[in-house]
Formats: sequence, C-alpha cells, structure tokens
Amino acid sequence: MNPIASETTRPGTPIGPAPSSPVPPLPPAARVVRATKRYGHGPTAVDALREVDLDVPTSQMTAIMGPSGSGKSTLMHCLAGLDSLTSGSVYVGEAELGTLSDRALTRLRRDQIGFVFQAFNLVPTLSAGENMTLPLDLAGRRPDRDWVDHVVEVCGLADRLDHRPSELSGGQQQRVAVARALASRPAVVFADEPTGNLDSRSGGAILDLLRSAVDGESQTVVMVTHDAIAAARADSVRFLADGRIVDQLNDPTTELVLDRMMRLGA
Amino acid sequence: MVLSGLRADIRRAVSAALAIVLGVSFLAATLVVGDTMRGGFADAFAAGNDGVSVVVRSDTRLGDDDRALDLGTVPVALAERIESVDGVATAALHIEARAQILDPSGRAIGGDGPPTIATNWIDDPRLSPWELAEGRAPSGAGEVVIDRSSARQAGYSVGDTATVRTPDPLTVTVVGIATFAGEDSQGPVTHTLFDTATAQDLFLTDRTVATAIRVAAEPGIEESVTAERTAPLLGPGHEVITGTELSTEQLAELEADFIGFFQTMLLAFAGVGMVVATLTIHNTFAIIVAQRSRQSALLRAVGASRRQVLGTVVAEASAVGIVASAVGVTAGIGLAALATWGMDAAGFGLPGSLRWSLTSLALAWSVGVAATLAAAVLPAVHAARVAPLAAIRGLSIDRSESSRSRQVAGAVLALTSAGALAVTAVSDDVSLTVAGVGVLAALAATIVAGPVLARPIASALGWPVARVRGRSGDLARRNAVRNPRRTASTASSLMVGVAVVVFFATTAHSLTAYIDRTVDAQFAGDLVIEQDGFSGPGLSSTLAPRLDDLPETSLVVPLGVGVMRTGDRVHYPTVTYPGALGSLVDLGPTQGDLTQVDTGGIAVSQSLAEEEGWAVGDDIAVRIGQSDVDLRIAAVFGARDLIGDLVVAADMWDLHGSPAPTRVVLLEGAPGVDLDRARDAVATVASAEAAPPPLDRGEYVDRVSGEIDQLISVMVALLAVAVLIAVLGIGNTLSLAVHERTRELGLLRAVGMARSTVRAMVRWESVIVASFGTVLGVGIGTIGAWAAVRAFGSAEAIDISLVVPLAAFAVIAGLGATAGVVAALRPARRAARTEVLEAMATS
Repeated sequence: MNPIASETTRPGTPIGPAPSSPVPPLPPAARVVRATKRYGHGPTAVDALREVDLDVPTSQMTAIMGPSGSGKSTLMHCLAGLDSLTSGSVYVGEAELGTLSDRALTRLRRDQIGFVFQAFNLVPTLSAGENMTLPLDLAGRRPDRDWVDHVVEVCGLADRLDHRPSELSGGQQQRVAVARALASRPAVVFADEPTGNLDSRSGGAILDLLRSAVDGESQTVVMVTHDAIAAARADSVRFLADGRIVDQLNDPTTELVLDRMMRLGA
Repeated sequence: MVLSGLRADIRRAVSAALAIVLGVSFLAATLVVGDTMRGGFADAFAAGNDGVSVVVRSDTRLGDDDRALDLGTVPVALAERIESVDGVATAALHIEARAQILDPSGRAIGGDGPPTIATNWIDDPRLSPWELAEGRAPSGAGEVVIDRSSARQAGYSVGDTATVRTPDPLTVTVVGIATFAGEDSQGPVTHTLFDTATAQDLFLTDRTVATAIRVAAEPGIEESVTAERTAPLLGPGHEVITGTELSTEQLAELEADFIGFFQTMLLAFAGVGMVVATLTIHNTFAIIVAQRSRQSALLRAVGASRRQVLGTVVAEASAVGIVASAVGVTAGIGLAALATWGMDAAGFGLPGSLRWSLTSLALAWSVGVAATLAAAVLPAVHAARVAPLAAIRGLSIDRSESSRSRQVAGAVLALTSAGALAVTAVSDDVSLTVAGVGVLAALAATIVAGPVLARPIASALGWPVARVRGRSGDLARRNAVRNPRRTASTASSLMVGVAVVVFFATTAHSLTAYIDRTVDAQFAGDLVIEQDGFSGPGLSSTLAPRLDDLPETSLVVPLGVGVMRTGDRVHYPTVTYPGALGSLVDLGPTQGDLTQVDTGGIAVSQSLAEEEGWAVGDDIAVRIGQSDVDLRIAAVFGARDLIGDLVVAADMWDLHGSPAPTRVVLLEGAPGVDLDRARDAVATVASAEAAPPPLDRGEYVDRVSGEIDQLISVMVALLAVAVLIAVLGIGNTLSLAVHERTRELGLLRAVGMARSTVRAMVRWESVIVASFGTVLGVGIGTIGAWAAVRAFGSAEAIDISLVVPLAAFAVIAGLGATAGVVAALRPARRAARTEVLEAMATS
C-alpha cells in the first residue's frame, strides 16, 4: 500500500552475515521501515510515529520505552498488526503487513504473534487451559501436548487449568496470558505493559516467565513498558520520544534505564 | 464519548420501543377495525330501516345462516288491515330467504360467512333502502335486481343472464343493479331481489304469507305510536317492533354472530403480542439498568435517594411508553386502514369508511403505557437497590440464576400445573377451567423457572454447535448460557409466540386426524357432495332425486339441516331418510330401529339422550316452525360425529313447512360400476344442479382439513406480529450483550478470531437462545393443545385425541432457528466490526 516503502526496501531479506561472526546472525523477527503514523488531517494532524526504522532481533527480548505520547504503544500496535501505518512498512517474518487483507492479518496474529495485554487478557467464559490454547483452537490446530505441558509447568498453572478467569488472581491471569502467548510458539510475543496492573512480586514472576522463554526457548519478545525495572530485564531497550527512536541501550540495568529516561524527560 | 453513549442509548430506547409500537399498533388496529365495523353496520342498518316505522313479523325466529334459518311468516292479509290504521301511510310485504348468485363461470358470489340474502323488491322508497343504479325493478319470474357489489364481483351488467341458487338453480335475467342506502351493498352481504310474488313462490309455502310487513307512518307519527296502534291487529305468534329496535336487533345479532367473535379473536392475538412486547421490553430495561448500575451507584454515592434512582428509571420508561404507544396508536390506524382495504379486496368490504372512537385509541394507548411501566418496575427496583459502593467496586452484571423465591415460585406453579393437568388427564368430564389453569400455570412456571432451565437446555441445544464449529461454536454456546436469567427472559418472548402457534397447529392437526379417522370409520359411501362456503342457501332440492335416478348410483342420501326447539333449547336436527342413512353412515351401537324414524319418529344420540333423560319409546314435544309436534324416540345411536344429535325424516319435516336446506349429499356407487364412471355421471348432474363437484372420501377429508389449515394459516399470520416482536427482542438483547462484551470481542480479534468467525459466533449464540425459546414454546404449546383436545372431546362427547404434527414441528424448529439468525443480523455485524484497539481502550 505504500509505494515509497515497497520501492526502497528489500522485504524480509537479511542484511547479510558478518564474516567474522562465529554464529551467523539471525534475520530480524520483525521490523519496521520508515514507519509513519499520522492521526487526523490538515493542521490538527498529529504524527505518532515519524519515519521510524526498527529491527526486532530474533530470540531476544526488546523493550520499548518512552514518555506518554511518545508513540511506543502505536509502534507496538503497528508491529503486531493491530493498527496500520500511514506510510512505511512493517514486516513480521517475511510478510509485509500492509499488503495483507484483514483475514490474512487475523491469521497472522493467530499463528505468528502472541499477545500479552496489560489487563483483560482472558475470555471470561473459558477456563485457564482453554484460554491458553484459544489461538490454536481458533486455528483448528492440534496443540503440541508436550510443549503445552511444558508451558503450563513453567508458568506454574498446572493446578489452575480448570479455573475460570474470575477465580484467578491478577498475577495468575497474567501468567495464563503469557502461557497463551507462548503456547502457539509465535514468531514474536508482544507484551503491552504486562506488569502494569500487578504488584511487584507478581510482576517479577511475569518478567521471569518472559525472560526464561527468551533464554530457554529462543522466543522473540517485544515489551512496551514504562517501568525501568521491567525494561532492565530486556536484552536491549529502544527509547522513543515524539515518534522517533532517539536512543538504544544494550544490556540495560535499572540505573542506566532510569538515567536515559531522566535525560529524555529533561 | 458522551455523545456516542447518548446515541447508543437513544438507539437502544428506539429498538426497545419498537416492540411496544408493534404491540400497540396491532391492538389499536383491532379496536379501530371493530369500531369501523360497528359504526359502518350501525349506519347501514339504520339506513336500511330508515323510513320504516314498525315491522310486523313472526315471533318465532330461530337459527343461523350456517345451518338453518326459520324466520317464521305472517299472513299477507294483515298488511291491508295495518294500512287502514290511523297514522299509517303504507305497508309492504317483506320476504327474506337465502339465495346465491353464481358468476358466468359457475363460481358462487359470497357465502363465506356473511348472509346471501334473497328478498323482494319494494317500490316505496320509504320502506326500501334500495335504489336502482341501472336498469329497472324486477317483474315476474326470471327477473332479478342484484346489489352493485355482487354485480361487480360477478361481472354482470343489466341484461345479462345469470344463475341463482334458491337453492334450486334458477336462470334469471339481471334487469337492474341497485345500491343499498347509497353503498354498493350492505357491507359484505349479497342480495338478490325478486318481485314479491316470485319471492313468495320461491321461498314461502304460498302467496298468502310473507316474512314480515314493513310499515311506514304519516309524517310526525312516532314509531312507538304506530307500534301501539298496530299491536291489537296481530294474531298469536306475531310481534311488532319499531324500525329503531330492528336496527338495534340487527346490530346485536351481527355482534353476536360475527363482530364479537372476530374482535375477540383478534384481541386475543393482540394480547399475545402485548405480552411478548412486555416481556421483550422488560428484558431490555433489565439489561440497560444492569449496564448502568455503575452510574446508578454513582448517583446513590453522591446522595440520590433510592426513590430518586427509581424515579429516573420510571420516568424513562414512561417517556418510552408514552411516545411509543402514541406512535403505535397512529400506526394502528394505518394498519386498520390497510386491513379494511384488504378485506374489501377479498370481497369482504365493510360498509362506510374507517372510523374510530376516542375510547378505543385511549384504551390502546393506555395498555401500551401500562405495559411499558409494568415491564420497567422490576428493573427500576433493581436499579434503586444498587449499593453506592458498587460505583467504586465495579460489579459483575451476571446474577445467579436461581434465587430461593424464584425456585419456590417455580415449584409452586409447576405443582399447580401438574395437579391440574393430572386431573385433566384422568377426568371423564374435563373442566375447561381446570385444563386452562394447568396450561397457564405451566406457562408461568416455565417463565419463572426459565433461568433454571436455561443452562441445561441451552447447553444441550448448543452441544452440536460446539461439536461442529469448534471453539467459536463452543464460545457461542457458553455465551448463550453465561447469563441464564437473561437468556431465559430473552427466549420467553419467542416462547410465548411459538407456544401459541404450536397450540393452534397441534389442535388443528388433532382435529384433522379425528375427522380423517371418523370419516374413515363411519362413512361407508363412495362420494360426497357438500355445499361450498358456510352461509349459502344449500344444495338444490332436486339434486338428490336426480342422482338417485342415475344407474351409476345405488344409494343417495341427502342430509339437510333444520332448526327446531324442545322447550327453550334450540336444536339443528339432520333432516334425511333415516332408513337409508344407516347404510352409508355407521351410527355406532344403536338401540331401537332407525327405519322406524318416520313422520312420527326421531332418532337421538346417546349423549343427548343421557343428558335429557330420554330413552327409546319416549315421546318428546318439539316445535317446528309454527307447529307443535310430538315425536316418538325410535332409536338412540352412539356415533354422533358425522350427523349430530338428532335425526328426523324428511317426510316429517316437509309436513311442517320449515326450511331445511340440504347441506350434504352422500352417495354410493352401484355395484359393479367403476367409481370413476359413477363419479363422472354424478359430476354432470351436480353441474346441472349448480352444485359443487363430488368428492371421494380422501378428497372430502382433504377439503375439511384444508379449511382447518386455512384457518390456522390466518391465525399463524396474525401471530407473526408476536414473533416479529420476539425477534426484535432477541436482537435487542444481543446488541446489548455485544456492546457489553466489546473488550472480549476485541481480545478474540487480537488473538486471531476472523471477523466472519465473530459474526458466526454471535449468530450461533442467537440461534441457540432462539432454539431454547422455540423448544420451550413447542413444549408448552403441545401441553396446551393436549388440554384443549381433552376439554373439547369431553365437551362435545367425541373421541378425539392429541396427534402431534411432527412435520409442522420441524418447520417451526427451523423457523425458530431462522428467527435467531435474523435477530442476530445487526448485532453480529456490529460484533464483527469491533476494532481491537478501540475495544481494548474501552473502559
């Protein structure tokens, strides 16, 4: 849908292996190219994203931070196929999202993407176990039993599978959400403030889960957060301000993240 | 946000109000049609008797148009004596009987309920409402004037030759076309006018009698004065009534014979519609109140009293009720106009134009307002009960399905119903009241206990959906039962509509099966000729003798219907050849001897004999026409299904000169003659006698069941309004539920549910809820039909039992599911449009 983007980008192809690297670097799990998102028209128009370029490194946890209104949620929504760009392109794996029909986009979300929202992650009429396998069930795919059991085990949900969401605590509900996101082995898990509604102990447990999925299962995770402690658990942090990526921090610590945030805010 | 919330509220209010609009419009239309009929006929009768000061006639007037009519006679000589009374200007003979005009193709005009009147032309305009539009007055045998409405329907103009059933076919020339008090006819009544002598020859014993004498007075003489002065001239068995009294009497007869029944039936259907509308709007209010509970709680938290919160809901309901009912009344007038136009097009034109009384409009409006308020009471109380804390807590809208009081009430109703139905099942003499209580209690129990039934039944109904449609089907099934109370009250409106449809369909089916069985078991002949329509003059008197002369027939039995009295009781005996009757109709176990029913005998059914305490050999006093006759009971027979309670000989009846038109002719083919050949021969004679063609046994049964089916179709069509309201209700509830579940739908879309799947999910939920209502409705309707059949069989002393129309049930189940699909159209579309981000942002 975007002539500029399609002319100037090579969809989904890796940059090319670095000759000195012992392991060939993996192609990015998802990326955006010159992504612009504009709300409204004419003089009142607001650009939430301005020509953002971002590669989501495969098998890593990437945190996106920024002050309110910086465009971090918009960026994630566009990456996850929940929102469309005004110009530029988004790729998840090989697929360019802008070219996909609603149906194909839905299928991509179901098969390639896992979601963890801040709240209201679960369908109230389904049990924890059913919520977990919902995307697989919708796809009509048979869940990989061993894998699902493993996820259940890791998420500590073995004795909660038959419970309805209303019978679970907030932390347990988020664990079910993480389990659902992992159960279908998506290309990317998008987590939107996954700990935002939780106390620090439950929040920590969620971060542990995401972290272990990255470390143990090579899962790619993108997390939007405003919590420096949460961001510090990522492999790298991108900072957004005024719709642009203004900074990047690899191997972050809480202090470093706070420091950068302070500077952004100043 | 605020604006869209308001818009949503208005849309909700409008769709909720639509149920009331529909219910009220049906009710108002029914009342307006009633007003139009009463007003129109009152005017028509008054115009017809305008100028008539008094009428002198026989005081013996018995019977009805469907069976037999005995209007009695007065001597012609009386007219001259009345003319000499002081203050009387003139007197004219009036003859009234039944005759039916056939169109050039042989099709009968009218006769499907309204009378087909034959009368005499009266020249004096004071005594006749008729005015020639074309042609001239009839003179001599073979000339008639017909009303303009019939002329139009049959396509006759002056000078045409026509056949008239008197009931013997008569070839006449239409010499004139006339209007009745300025209208084409007297409503849907058809008229054939002969000259007086011809009418006497055709319809009365001789020219010395007339049906009545119409009297006009000198100007300024009051009706009552004429009546007083005329009275001394009358002989025994005569009476004088004023023109005004006659009009009142005619209107009262029409009211009793037709308008009352017609309007009561329509009102019953309007009532069903209102009940369904009330259930629907109650449900809508309940959901709106539940969704707004946070707002109500906030009101309470900032200091509004319970009364004030209650007040806001009641005020809102009043506003909806007042406006919706007003719209409904207006729409009702339009609907009534449409209905009268339709009746006119169907050859059932009402006299006069559309009219309505303020009382009717006010009544329909008040019922609408009252129903809306009644529907809002419980939700309003719930709203007022919301604790102020709920504003902060946020609360789940799901309520438990089974409060204790609900369980107790449901159990009490169920037990009452079970008791009454058990009595109905075992009792020999079924009480309609007990049966009715049983059925209504069952209906009430189902409505009250609906929430308890909703989960298991809707789950079971949804099971195949979940099996076939996978997770989305499963979600539809779970959504259908996630709030059993709402599911139950949503389904209840459809349940009521379906129950009534099933009630009629099942009762009719049982009746048809009974007729089928009875004809099969009790009619031994080969062919039947039956008059077409209900209120025609009957079959030609020469039909049966001519058929009897055919070599292709061995036995021909005409069945006439007469009217007579025993004491104060009016009977319609079958007038026939009782000896031959026994060969064609199985009368069951019989005491005495049917062949002994001669000029001094009568046969009586077992059930009437038991009721009256009669036995074979008893003499009973009957009054036939103007004669008192003693008849000996020659036989008591068991099976009254085909021929009724009394059988008398045609020879006896002829002695007393009262009309007993032949309604049916039963035939048996001659031995060795092919039935088709016999049938052709019979058909030729029937055609010559202006009678309908013969039917074999199967066709006869089909015809009777066809008539029943036709009646049922009309009733089902009338119930369509109720079903439509129910469908609106389901759609409305579903819209509210979709609105409530926006976030959940957004989540489903996010994790990969396609829009089409979302649509299907909502649709299936709707289908499950609708099927739940349909299943309950079929159950209740069947119970109702069973009770009605029991009560009817007991009252009529016939052996009728419930026969379930499985094919109809399959159709109803299909339609119920379709209703679910239709109801889901809008909500499903809305649900599918849910945008993930907007949905997730909803607070």
